[in-house]
Amino acid sequence: MREYFPFFKRRQDIIYLDSAATSQTLFSVVEDMQDFMLSNKSNAHRSGNSMGTYVDQQYQSSKELIGKWLNIDKPEQRIVFNSGTTQGLNDAAQLIMSAMSSGVVFVGIDSHHSLILPWTQSDNAKWRVVFIELDKDGRLDLNDLETKIKAEPMAVSKVIAVNAVSNVLGLINDLNGIKKIALEYAAVSVIDASQIISKRQVNFSGFDFVAWSWHKLYGPMGLGCLLIDPIWLNFDPVRPGGGTVTHVGLDSVTWTTNASKFESGTQNLAAICVLPKLVTWLIEHQADIETHDKNLAKIINDQIPLSQFTPISKTDSGLISLEPALGTVEDYTMMLDAKNIMIRSGKLCAEPLINQISQGALLRLSWGCYTTRQEIEIALDNLGGIHARLSKHV
Amino acid sequence: MQDFQNMFKDLFELDDAMDKYEWIIDYGAGTVGLAHKYHTDQTLVKGCTSPLWLAREESGCIAAWGKSSIVNGMASMICAWYNQASPQQQMDFSLNTLTDIGLAPLLSMGRQNGVANLIAKIKTL
Repeated sequence: MREYFPFFKRRQDIIYLDSAATSQTLFSVVEDMQDFMLSNKSNAHRSGNSMGTYVDQQYQSSKELIGKWLNIDKPEQRIVFNSGTTQGLNDAAQLIMSAMSSGVVFVGIDSHHSLILPWTQSDNAKWRVVFIELDKDGRLDLNDLETKIKAEPMAVSKVIAVNAVSNVLGLINDLNGIKKIALEYAAVSVIDASQIISKRQVNFSGFDFVAWSWHKLYGPMGLGCLLIDPIWLNFDPVRPGGGTVTHVGLDSVTWTTNASKFESGTQNLAAICVLPKLVTWLIEHQADIETHDKNLAKIINDQIPLSQFTPISKTDSGLISLEPALGTVEDYTMMLDAKNIMIRSGKLCAEPLINQISQGALLRLSWGCYTTRQEIEIALDNLGGIHARLSKHV
Repeated sequence: MQDFQNMFKDLFELDDAMDKYEWIIDYGAGTVGLAHKYHTDQTLVKGCTSPLWLAREESGCIAAWGKSSIVNGMASMICAWYNQASPQQQMDFSLNTLTDIGLAPLLSMGRQNGVANLIAKIKTL
């Protein structure tokens, strides 16, 4: 896989273990973005000229291929382009709150802030957040979810907002179980898929909203997707603007009848136009990507030096978070950086969970389809070496 | 009244970044640091990822203590230098001083913000 990513030829000095935050870029993405900016930069939708038509074709082809990749019918009605997961989750929350007068939102305690904040920061005080706790293994406890939903019989509406994989724990939550509960209790479901979508083939059918970003998926920055259930096309857009309408009169508006209803203004077309080749590559390599992820998860689960670091849990996919037995995570991050090993540390934008399970900050190592076993082992060796250096001063 | 680089010339003779970190950690571990009674919300330096406290002790000297070994060492060095510096040196001291002598690259941007806040706080004491 590594040969598909120019970064690793250009920066052979780097061990990059921060792919959960941002993945490295597939070669075709770089080429296609350059091609768009230098030779094909034009706007989509009803341009009437051949350059604009080319962009329209790339835009439509992108949605069709995403539909094929994720097994989604009528992708033009279900896939909304946006700036990334954060915007997708905010838009989903705004749409739900505009459609329903009040309710209770059941949010996973393992969520990224971007899944929590759209609800807690709302001016609409008629919405209340209830956190879903974790089970003994670290996955969302569906018994807790069901108990808490049952305890809210008077709620006008219910929303279940969870991530598929925690960006702290790397554990895959039971999406089928969550879907079942959502159906049983008529709850709207919002899924943050940003950590799972680059690793596993998931059936997203039956969920109301699924959000992800392409920069974690070997693609460009500043582009995301929100997959919506077509029923939400019956509601007005939360961000109206150009591209969302078919007619604007002095006293009437006709909204478009497909997902572009929620794509106001000029989209990030330089990024969208790279998707046909990127998604084709993902379809071709999906099985290898998944196998590689499982293999690395097993290696890292088996090789963590437990006397020096406490893994918050074993990992299923993509990343592992560790708490050092001594020193602070900043010490480790800075010293690994001196060895050109790039990891992430801190609260990982998941403060409710971090404060519940740790002393307040963690080290996180995360990988992509290009990460090698040797890189993981070198990073673990260096973590052990830093522990030894720090232990001399205790 | 030595300049910063002369005062810690052993550190600047090291080439390897890991060795530099270890020297800094060692320096911090070898200092007493800010007494625990001074660890309050008022003496906490804002902008640091891990806690760092800075205050003027009863002796009149400035001292610091940080939970991160590297930050503790760096802050201890800054305090030790500042306590013996001339008023002009103190006034001129900034994050740029550390950048100019090659220490800033040892700190991430987030940490550089913390050190900048540390220096700003020192000047208020």
